[in-house]
Amino acid sequence: MDIKEIKSASLSEKYYKVKHSSGLTIYVYPKDGYNSTYAIFGTKYGSINNTFKVDGGEIVKVPDGIAHYLEHKLFESEDGDAFSRYAKTGANANAYTSFDKTCYLFSCTDNFEESLEILLDFVQSPYFTKETVAKEQGIIGQEIKMYDDSPAWRVMFNMLMNMYKTHPVRIDIAGTVESIAEITPEYLYTCYNTYYNLNNMVLCVAGNVELDTVLNIADRMLKKSQYHEIENIFEEEPDGVLAPYVEQKLPVGLPLFNLGFKEKAGEKRVDEKTLAYSEILLFLIASSTSVLYRKMMDENLINASFSYEFFEGEGFLGTIFSGESRDPEKVSDTIKQYIDELKVKGIDSEEFEIAKRATYGDAISAMNSTDHIANILTDFDFSDRELYTYIDAIANATIEDITERLSTMFDTEKTTLSVIKND
Amino acid sequence: MSKLSRKEIAPSVAFNTVKESRFKTMRISVTAYLPLKKETAAHNALMSLVLTRSCNKYPDFTELSRKLSYLYGASLSSGFMKIGDVQALTFSISGIDDRYALNDDVISKELSDLLCDVIFDPFLKDGAFDSTECEQERRQLIDMIDSEFNEKRVYAKNKALSLMCESEAFGIKRYGDRESVLSATPEDLYKAWQNMLSSARFEIIYVGDSDSSIACDVFDKRFNEIKRNPQKLTTDIIKEAQDVKCGNEDMELSQSKMILGFRTAVAEPEDTMAARMMCAVLGGTAHSKLFCNVREKLSLCYYCSSSYIRQKGIMLIESGVERENIEKAKEAILGEIKAMQNGDITDEEIKATKMSMANAFNSNCDTVGGISGHYLSQMFDKEILTPQECVDRVNAVTKEDVIRCANMLTLDTVFTLTGVTDEKGEEV
Repeated sequence: MDIKEIKSASLSEKYYKVKHSSGLTIYVYPKDGYNSTYAIFGTKYGSINNTFKVDGGEIVKVPDGIAHYLEHKLFESEDGDAFSRYAKTGANANAYTSFDKTCYLFSCTDNFEESLEILLDFVQSPYFTKETVAKEQGIIGQEIKMYDDSPAWRVMFNMLMNMYKTHPVRIDIAGTVESIAEITPEYLYTCYNTYYNLNNMVLCVAGNVELDTVLNIADRMLKKSQYHEIENIFEEEPDGVLAPYVEQKLPVGLPLFNLGFKEKAGEKRVDEKTLAYSEILLFLIASSTSVLYRKMMDENLINASFSYEFFEGEGFLGTIFSGESRDPEKVSDTIKQYIDELKVKGIDSEEFEIAKRATYGDAISAMNSTDHIANILTDFDFSDRELYTYIDAIANATIEDITERLSTMFDTEKTTLSVIKND
Repeated sequence: MSKLSRKEIAPSVAFNTVKESRFKTMRISVTAYLPLKKETAAHNALMSLVLTRSCNKYPDFTELSRKLSYLYGASLSSGFMKIGDVQALTFSISGIDDRYALNDDVISKELSDLLCDVIFDPFLKDGAFDSTECEQERRQLIDMIDSEFNEKRVYAKNKALSLMCESEAFGIKRYGDRESVLSATPEDLYKAWQNMLSSARFEIIYVGDSDSSIACDVFDKRFNEIKRNPQKLTTDIIKEAQDVKCGNEDMELSQSKMILGFRTAVAEPEDTMAARMMCAVLGGTAHSKLFCNVREKLSLCYYCSSSYIRQKGIMLIESGVERENIEKAKEAILGEIKAMQNGDITDEEIKATKMSMANAFNSNCDTVGGISGHYLSQMFDKEILTPQECVDRVNAVTKEDVIRCANMLTLDTVFTLTGVTDEKGEEV
């Protein structure tokens, strides 16, 4: 077992990173004076991992939505569901599946040890039969229908479906009613045995907790996993977008839009510096402080729902601007024109300073939250990044760094605008 | 821990401090409580938005935003909500603690001054707010109102509450109504502002590590320059439902929504902890009766949960359900309530709910906003309790108390948002 202590002088905080003998990577982030503890047991496995090879064997293709289905099913074991076990400890438990990870989590103020035992136990105890798999199709089918009615969800997936031609980020995380009908216990076991290997997983605990407490439970509860080489297979994705515009009619009070900029993804996930520079640049371009935001507000194009996101994962990279507008196409034109002009005239040094300070302040403030810490540690582990290196990269960013990032981050020829409006 | 210390600085104006060194940020919020009335609700809501847009010192929105960003991304915001028949306008500012500034900036002092500037010294033109500023915020408030329709879960809940409380002040929306927002003039907003300063009850809450006495002095001085004439604030309680009100709206949806509204007869300032627990046992957790039985066992609803509005003694059950299952789901939900009324509650259910509520009270106080919210939500309660005191009250509730509260439930309103089919007979 290898234990590393990672410190930040500016935050006067530290956390531990442990490579456990079972194969699992464990992070423990103690927060002095906190009542609560937040724990995540996550696997680097999400909706985009639908084609893969293990140890150089045959290519396996599985039905869409299976990672999310597996998340639902793992909550059940032969002797009842995990929620009823947590009911005995008082912990508040949940789980979620995203494009590239599946996380099981709880937060608690009492009985931390018992709750952690439950978490490590049920995630390591798959139990799938024909009957239980069939039963879940009802509930997940209803969840899919609920998302079909959600304009905010539809506007994003319509954008992704038209931005990407082959990459599975274009597929709805929960799959479709048809694709989940193909799911069998055998498929679930195949995916479970591939991705729920402890070498592909992480445990992150933040808050009122000590390292030894976590390690003692880990020693007792974790079943050693044999390392296997997992190769995720993605078809080649073209540089350009599939279609620049997509529209859907739904009952809405105000049209919604997503404007996506596609950037070519590298072999690896982006590093701490690229992430920091991207966040500073996005703040500079589109925060409520920016010239662009003000212009669009004065022209009555956007409202307070306007937001932006740096969107990044294995094989996909880009930026999404979203919000409500009575004229989404004008919003899109205004953003693109502003960015093209900014590339020519360069970044203002005062605007840069403001953007850097605000991004730094946000990163520091976020460290109040055990929820945020556990989630970002999970995400950073899966993307090979380190938390304090990221915060330092914000503090040390220069205007030259941001200018260089601007030259590659936005290609106004590679965008997709998605709109939801009334009939 | 997280104890509140309270000081009255002017008639019906209290400065509350929660000293906390655990966080990297600090927060000051000022909440004005006014009677919720049809004539003034829209003016108050719009006024609160105009106030945080600019101030005399920073008359331009972008200038003010830049100042905040420069203070390490400090945030200034306002919001409006209903607490019983009272409209609450909250103005808050938060930023990183002085300890984490990159230079020796004293951020806490700057933030206190800025919040006071916004509330007491707005950007005015000829005895009214600036009309361009008002237009911008009006447009945004109208957008917000129109977009409430986008999320059908929220839309259905609001419709149900409006129907249920149509003859009560609580039936007025937190922002009044769309027409009054459209017709409000800069002079109306100016009057609303003056009325707020003189007649609202104010609660100021400071959460942070830096010395709060500087901020307290600033507010003390400002409030004592104003002639105060606080209004009385009351909330009407309907203890028992008469006939069941039914409402339905058809819409092109895949999943229908059903909301059930109940009266409980237990509301603040009486002790409501037993009623809150009754609601949690029924549908407040992932091990509640509604979750385990209606959602998991019967697969009738994707979501099915209950919430309790303790100032009004109202319990709401929200569910997302397929159209053909609406009646079945309603029967199943009412069946769970009947079971509780007959005493069908296990000791394990009581114990699990107590632990879950204790967990919520305790974890809530691990965030700056959570602490503020914990105290703000209690300003009309019989007494103001720390999180630990709340936990003690929870633990004192008995199964008999819960059964007694369940027997006070009377069904008042059923509202459904029904997904309709197209000509092919398929749900669209």
